[in-house]
Amino acid sequence: MALFPITGRFVGDFVPHLVAVDTEDTMDEIAGKVASFSVGHRLARRPGDPGYEVLLDGEVLPATATLAAVMAGQEILPLQWFDVRFRETADA
Amino acid sequence: MLLNRDDWYETSRDLDWTLSYVDPGVAFPARWSGAEGVPADAWQAWDEPFRVSYRDYVRIQREKEAGVKAVSQALGRAGIYEKLDPAHVAASHLHMGTTCMVEHMAVTMQSRFCRFAPTPKWRNLGVFGMLDETRHTQLDMRFSHDLLKADPRFDWAQKAFHTNEWGVLAVKNFFDDAMLNADCVEAALATSLTVEHGFTNIQFVALAADAMAAGDINWSNLLSSIQTDEARHAQQGFPTLAVLVEHDPERAQKALDVAFWRSTRLFQTLTGPAMDYYTPLEQRKMSFKEFMLEWIVNHHERILEDYGLKKPWYWDQFLHSLDNGHHAMHIGTWYWRPTLFWKPNAGVSKAEREWLNEKYPTWEENWGVLWDEIIRNVNEGRLEDTLPQTLPSLCNLTQLPLGSAMSRHDLAPHQLVYQGRLYSFDSEISQWCFEQDPERYAGHQSLVDRFIGGQVLPPDLGGALGYMGLTPEVMGDDVYNYAWAKDYVPAATA
Repeated sequence: MALFPITGRFVGDFVPHLVAVDTEDTMDEIAGKVASFSVGHRLARRPGDPGYEVLLDGEVLPATATLAAVMAGQEILPLQWFDVRFRETADA
Repeated sequence: MLLNRDDWYETSRDLDWTLSYVDPGVAFPARWSGAEGVPADAWQAWDEPFRVSYRDYVRIQREKEAGVKAVSQALGRAGIYEKLDPAHVAASHLHMGTTCMVEHMAVTMQSRFCRFAPTPKWRNLGVFGMLDETRHTQLDMRFSHDLLKADPRFDWAQKAFHTNEWGVLAVKNFFDDAMLNADCVEAALATSLTVEHGFTNIQFVALAADAMAAGDINWSNLLSSIQTDEARHAQQGFPTLAVLVEHDPERAQKALDVAFWRSTRLFQTLTGPAMDYYTPLEQRKMSFKEFMLEWIVNHHERILEDYGLKKPWYWDQFLHSLDNGHHAMHIGTWYWRPTLFWKPNAGVSKAEREWLNEKYPTWEENWGVLWDEIIRNVNEGRLEDTLPQTLPSLCNLTQLPLGSAMSRHDLAPHQLVYQGRLYSFDSEISQWCFEQDPERYAGHQSLVDRFIGGQVLPPDLGGALGYMGLTPEVMGDDVYNYAWAKDYVPAATA
């Protein structure tokens, strides 16, 4: 386990944030952290709470994958940009 | 018989040593003069249009000083400051904190012209520029010192550049680059021509007009007096551009293109919010965009055309940014208001919003919806949700938040890896600027870099506020204590 800084943008907000995540965080947990700075602050909550999903380079990452697992597959440097959005895919 | 000025002026300003004991390249190193690639005799053509002798200079400056001081003393006695709209006053806090020490940095730049400029004509003119900038620093210091008893925020005229406040770091970063890290030629193109001859109009003409309309005659008078100096010493840019275009047009184009974008971003931060949000609605003369188009864009296009240069490749993106960049900086600075040393006005009451929509047809879709959520939180008593909990990600060129150059619909990652480190940029344009000279920018650490590097302790927002030097008596908050949000409370419950 290790703290890791990312650039987290919630799609629709105007600014990405510095978000401290843990390498053992799942994408669901990372999504929640990124969303916590935007949703309910400058973006309205969605009715029915559809949940969130994380995208890296435009691809949705599996909800249960950890950051460490993603890092094992490709180089992720500190402050890597991750997008988070309200869930659009049926099975993430 | 006493000679007329025109009889001796040419000889006097062109007086130079013929170096025999030292190599000219040692006395005037290219890394300071910026004359590399330009033949030494080409600088003979350098000719400033604004002619002034030292005697004339002293006489005129003395009259200006007497005028500024007389107005200041009369208004001080009349207690005008205490009657000003607090939203307007915030603009003067912002100006003094972010500009006073820039004037002082400009003393160093002008003194570099005095010593290292590649022609004695320029070195002579640099003397007046140096004296001008000393005067501007002292004017700002005197104005702020007089008002210290009214508000401790005026202490930031002197203090700001000795802190790590994020906005100040962004301003300092730009002027370190355009003034102190630049050779004479670059500095003349970036600072004299682009900033002083172009963009300062928006700070010293537009803002002076708004200040006058707001009843702040003292500040307006100070700004106007400074602008008369800027208009003169900014002339050092044109003859420099003329010589460089003749011998190295590619370098001239690149230097101007970088400086123009960096200046745009700076003034979107310093002047855009002040003009379109802090100035009371009934006293606004023009929108920030209108002023930019009339005073900056037309002017810059004319210069480029006159000197045979092209519009920057990013021109369409720049125009799009005029609809968005300062709105982004405004909502960002208001939201992160504890990180400011002034009290911002939200400026989104219903009447103000109508004005914003009239001036910026895309404002509602790009910015209004974000303000709606903030307004909802204010009116439902969730102020904690209108306050920051972490830092915004920052651009490694401008030091401004990612997302603050365009609209939220344009926001996309602009990142590159240079020597193993990931750099982030607020736009494709800022990334391009970085790529022109990566070594120049790569070593700098943004506030975010310092935070994750362990320089900010404790590593939380409170630690960041302490690192930025913000203390309770100056820390920003909504200047009207959220009264504007009442506009949106449904009538039945208002």
